[in-house]
Amino acid sequence: MKFQSEPNTSAGEFFELLENSGYRWPAKLEGTAKQHGFTVPQGTTVLAFHFKGGVLVAGDRRATAGNSIMYELCDKVIPIDDHTLMAIAGVPATAFEMARVLSHNFEYYRRSQLQSMSTEGKIRALSKLLKENVGMAVQGLGVVSPIFATYDPALKKARIHFYDMLGADFQIRTHTATGSGSQIIRGILEHEDLWGEKPLAERTREQAMTLAIRLLQTAALFDSATGQARPEDDIYPTLATLTEEGYRFSDEDETAEIFKTSTARG
Amino acid sequence: MFEEPYRWMEAVSTRHNYVQEKLKMGQPVMAVPYNEGLLIFGFAPQPGKIFEVYDRIALGGVGHPADVERLRMNLLDMAHLEGFNRSAQDVTSARLLQFGIAPALKQNFEEIQRAPYIIRMLLVELDNEGNPNFFRMNYDGHWGTFKNGTAIAGEEKVMDWLQKEIQKQPFATYSLDKALQQACKLWDESRKLDSDDEAKKDIPETLQEAFDQWYLEGAVLTEKSTRKAIYRPISKDEIERLKSSAV
Repeated sequence: MKFQSEPNTSAGEFFELLENSGYRWPAKLEGTAKQHGFTVPQGTTVLAFHFKGGVLVAGDRRATAGNSIMYELCDKVIPIDDHTLMAIAGVPATAFEMARVLSHNFEYYRRSQLQSMSTEGKIRALSKLLKENVGMAVQGLGVVSPIFATYDPALKKARIHFYDMLGADFQIRTHTATGSGSQIIRGILEHEDLWGEKPLAERTREQAMTLAIRLLQTAALFDSATGQARPEDDIYPTLATLTEEGYRFSDEDETAEIFKTSTARG
Repeated sequence: MFEEPYRWMEAVSTRHNYVQEKLKMGQPVMAVPYNEGLLIFGFAPQPGKIFEVYDRIALGGVGHPADVERLRMNLLDMAHLEGFNRSAQDVTSARLLQFGIAPALKQNFEEIQRAPYIIRMLLVELDNEGNPNFFRMNYDGHWGTFKNGTAIAGEEKVMDWLQKEIQKQPFATYSLDKALQQACKLWDESRKLDSDDEAKKDIPETLQEAFDQWYLEGAVLTEKSTRKAIYRPISKDEIERLKSSAV
């Protein structure tokens, strides 16, 4: 505990507090080049697009390590705060750690400074973590390719941001996808937006969820690292929406129902 | 001078008097259960009495604003580090007090060359089973836990009276509106116990004046929340309803 004579220097920066407590972001292993001979688990396909009420964020559930399927229940869409979601592709260990740091960062800031962090501040916070992670990423141990979706109360609009490995962020106006199956579905998303029944931004929540399920099923047909839904085992993609009211995850019953109707053949 | 035990005891005693005198102006903060969680509530000439600490923990403070702020930041730091390093479920009021704030506060109080904290503090939580827990901590690190609600105030007499009166009412069965009304009524009655005439002259004479001139701060921790962080400040509508029923 700090005594009164010690200045209170905190500006709501949780990462600084963590570092002062002895925490260190995993650093690049000195004296070693890119790692070979072992594989780390990787998350696979996530996507986000604007729909009529906000933003939809979705992801499959599979984690792989090389040719092995490690896990079929991986949650790759992670709530960061009431109005922010992060979807991850890449190494889960690093991505989950980033999500935990961000979540505590935003809540610590809000509670200590008695106001929410600005949208720009939130977007920048993830950039900073990605920059911290460059060493691990170039060694092939901790590459993370996140999608960041947050509701901007000033603009009264949900925003989607995509990041590169070095931490540069790009605002996405329509749709984005990342992970090994993303190339398969990006083309479909573009096609749907330009020539589909209606543009993505005009679709309802239900229509958006239907499309997301079909996209992830399609990705799984062509990409072995993307997991297909397994209704017999109650394994479905993760679907979440972000609106003015905050994030909302589709529960299992709702997802099962939409899955049934959206994958039925005409 | 402090190598003799008597001198040290005398100095500590003087510090007690000093802090109690400084605390006298502190307006009460009450915390009571209600049928969907717990309510923490108080009036003050300046805002800054009630705060969110962690997902299920809130804080109420009486005393010097700078001291309230410093302890608040200490609690925030401890809670968030623990929540990050272990889990949100490991962040409990009892652990924050017993292993964090209380020993340090006691040490600070008895190291007589340090300035003492001028503070009384309420820490409340809705635990992981949904039970409300109430803790009260003194400026010297002494703390206690209460089952059915508690209060802090600048004057011990007021604090003890509120504590007794809170126990007499079945707050846990009340709706939020009723719990607010009853807590407000107790606050109103407690003003009459204030013995310090000098302090009294700055206190609103009626509840209407309190609503008009001071800030009503309140928050709930409720299981009705669908979010991880269950703290919610009471809304303008709830304050308006309270005002129209209480005044």
